[in-house]
Amino acid sequence: MLSALIWLPAIGAALVGFLPGNISASRARVGAIAISGTLLLWTIYLLTQFNLSTPGLQMSEYLPWIPTLGLNYSLGVDGLSLPLVALSNLLTFLVIFSSDPQSPKSTPLKRPRLFYSLVLLISAGMAGALLAQNLLLFFLFYEVELIPFYLLISIWGSEKRDYAAIKFLLYTAVSGILILAAFLAMNWLTHASSFDYDAIATQGLSQRTQLILLTLMIVGFGIKIPLVPLHTWLPDAYVEASTPTAILLGGVLAKLGTYGLVRFCLGLFPETWSLVAPGLSIVAAVSVMYGALAAIAQKDIKRMVAYSSIGHMGYVLLGTIALTPLALVGAVSQMVSHGLILALLFYLVGIIESKVGTRDLDVLNGLLNPIRGLPMVSALLILAGMGSAGIPGMAGFISEFLVFQGSFSAFPLPTLLCVVGTALTAVYFVILLNRTCFGKLDTKTAYYPRVTWLEQLPALALTGLIIWLGVQPTWLVRWSESTTTAMASATSVYESRQLAMKPIGHLSQAFPSGVAE
Amino acid sequence: MNVTATRTKLPPSQHQFADIIHRLEAGGSMLPDTPENLMQIIGLYKAYAVPMDFYWRDLLYIGEQVFLNPFPFFKYFISDEYMDRHNHYAGDDADLRIWRGQADAHPELREFMDKGELKMKLPRLAHHLWHDRINMEFAEECMRSMLWHRGMYVPVNQFDPFLDSDEYKANADRAIKAYFKGNPAMLALHKAFPELFLEQCRQSSYYANLGLFWEVMAPVFFEMSDLYDEGKMTSVPQAMDFLVNGIFAIAGRPIYHHVYIRGECYEIIPKSKGFTWLYEAALPYVEAVFYRTSPFRGTKSYNAQAGQVPADQKDFHFGVLYADKFPVGTAGIPPTLLAQDMLHFLPQYLVDYYREHCRGEDDMLIQLIISFQRSMYCVTSAVIQALRGALLYPLDDPNPNHLKANRAFFESQIDRFLRPEARIKDIQTPDYR
Repeated sequence: MLSALIWLPAIGAALVGFLPGNISASRARVGAIAISGTLLLWTIYLLTQFNLSTPGLQMSEYLPWIPTLGLNYSLGVDGLSLPLVALSNLLTFLVIFSSDPQSPKSTPLKRPRLFYSLVLLISAGMAGALLAQNLLLFFLFYEVELIPFYLLISIWGSEKRDYAAIKFLLYTAVSGILILAAFLAMNWLTHASSFDYDAIATQGLSQRTQLILLTLMIVGFGIKIPLVPLHTWLPDAYVEASTPTAILLGGVLAKLGTYGLVRFCLGLFPETWSLVAPGLSIVAAVSVMYGALAAIAQKDIKRMVAYSSIGHMGYVLLGTIALTPLALVGAVSQMVSHGLILALLFYLVGIIESKVGTRDLDVLNGLLNPIRGLPMVSALLILAGMGSAGIPGMAGFISEFLVFQGSFSAFPLPTLLCVVGTALTAVYFVILLNRTCFGKLDTKTAYYPRVTWLEQLPALALTGLIIWLGVQPTWLVRWSESTTTAMASATSVYESRQLAMKPIGHLSQAFPSGVAE
Repeated sequence: MNVTATRTKLPPSQHQFADIIHRLEAGGSMLPDTPENLMQIIGLYKAYAVPMDFYWRDLLYIGEQVFLNPFPFFKYFISDEYMDRHNHYAGDDADLRIWRGQADAHPELREFMDKGELKMKLPRLAHHLWHDRINMEFAEECMRSMLWHRGMYVPVNQFDPFLDSDEYKANADRAIKAYFKGNPAMLALHKAFPELFLEQCRQSSYYANLGLFWEVMAPVFFEMSDLYDEGKMTSVPQAMDFLVNGIFAIAGRPIYHHVYIRGECYEIIPKSKGFTWLYEAALPYVEAVFYRTSPFRGTKSYNAQAGQVPADQKDFHFGVLYADKFPVGTAGIPPTLLAQDMLHFLPQYLVDYYREHCRGEDDMLIQLIISFQRSMYCVTSAVIQALRGALLYPLDDPNPNHLKANRAFFESQIDRFLRPEARIKDIQTPDYR
């Protein structure tokens, strides 16, 4: 069942990309839509088959591959990976659907066959990484992602795409190396029989070794998320990438980083994780504040959205380190809602850029004009901004509220700073909306082509989903509730220690005392 | 012929819009003479004339019949009598036949009033509430603009000062008392606040004024459209000349205000006052509606404290020659209402033309109102040329001093478009649409 999620897009990518003969752009598009549509339907079917009350792995598949290396084809899905798989397949479908609208006035997508096959390859890699239950298998898929993303940025990107693509490649390659090093060390030091997830038992390792391994992984995944100060590749990559690539980067790839944190850092080193949590809480708060403040200072709306993404991934980190069931379920929800909202924002910014021809806040004006502006796009942009700022009624509010509610007891000050960060989100979105949507159109330049219904459809679908999950939050949290609860309770060590620590009163003291053990 | 004569006698103008000055001196208009411009302005005259045929009838109906009704819910539901009323400038019994067509309401207007945009025969009230109707609010906005910008072209315009005269007050008082006869509450109100109904009466007089003005313009525009369709009007200057000749032909048409109360006619402004169409209606109308009007909310809001609204009414510049037309389509602003009216009566050649530009059907409202702006530049040119003809010298005058006087006049007129908001620069190119 799960293999289909990997191999259907992989075979699809090969077919679209390498099928001999002269396939027209529209036919390649139809083929890619059919494949990703099937994938999406298959995902929905899996959602119906998923047992909500089981915290552990479901639908497992196991096939020995290279036993001498400890590499096995081992797949499984739980409440942590399922929502992300669904998110990834949804965004893949929307990206393929919208990347070449084929409306009379839009510029056609160049090299469509390569584009579709790369996007499908990303979908395959993403599903593989999320479903893999073997560390090496995870690493393989994790690295597979790099190549299509590099090509997507460097072929379809804008002016400085080469610079951005190389920077992205270097950073994420370092991330891969660190993670591979940590995985290998884990296997050798624990003398595990294979790289299978359940074969690794780190409890025997010394605290110091655990800390080193954990640090390697935190930095590795931290680059991918990215966390401040490892984020400098992000603004360039997101801004230079074309809209579909930016959606996949922000909506899908970044989630691999946070997924890795929860799955491998928290899952494999629960005790040590709780030791580094206070330090990470500061990183989370800094990321949130930095992202928000940097976004306020931007003049380019896409860059603004890119920085907002840095801030919003900080909430996910905060949720994963608080180690309360509520915060953890909030973190998973935040991954999903951030993916949806960011995709919507990038999509709308992409439409504005293609129609108006600029992303400059000083040039954009009056897009809410009912006839000559882009009224529907502006209206959806306002909704997306509200969603991102955590206005109740939309998915962003649910997940941020869960994170804050769950983490306040553990890290009051960083949580409060993050709350301030959501207020700052409102600040920069008000700046963005005020400049782009309100005001008046310039009668000399404002002859923008219309936005067709087909172009609006993906944005409408995403908005509908964001609002639906905002008013029916059960549909957002039900998938992961039992898994995250189980994960949080596995780290009960932390809770008892923290209770003992309370009289001392200073959280930072937990760190040296933990190492001394 | 006179073109070369004029140019050889005077050195080139140093004005910022020297090209336009030279064009005016050569007998042209502010709008460049291109077939595209001609098609747009004539098409818009036609689209404007049909609703205007309703405007003037209803304005007169309100001024003469509704008068001071404190609850004028049905002021836009005019009687058949007013629909059938004969225009004095069209039909067989015309005082001066400008349009060769019929004197009663235009057939396209009748059809629209019956079925509306919905193309369904529903009760008038249903069409009205669905806003599927002629937007009289636009006409009233024009009337109110004339009323509010009082004292324009005084002393040439004697209509406006007359509204403050004792004679007018006495006439109005008679009509007010007759209208509220048997209604002690309203009469007591009139006694307590004598200015209250008097001001309403002045407004009513302006209803009549504008109604009488437009009664002339509708047949003028219909005739121009017909001439264009017949291939007899082939250039923008020809269109302008038709307007100039029209202005002179009807300049003396009396402007008056009669009110009919229970079948009896009260002459609040009698014809005998000698108020005329050109000085008492056309010039104030052009000044109030084309140049001044008042700031309206589009997507731009004005900050009066920051000096974005001039302190003096005479410096107002929000009229059709200056207005930003891109917000058209926004609810509740007068140009939207006008554009909506004209959209229903566009000639087919303009519909086809708009389909090929910008967003086609989707932004036709803005495309047509910009054509309308062009056409009003043509009308204003006609007014400027007519004034020049009335007050100054012919364009082919041999005396260079006279030509200089003409040039000074033209330059002073064009100076009004030096403001950055003026669209005169935009309409010089076809790209503004």
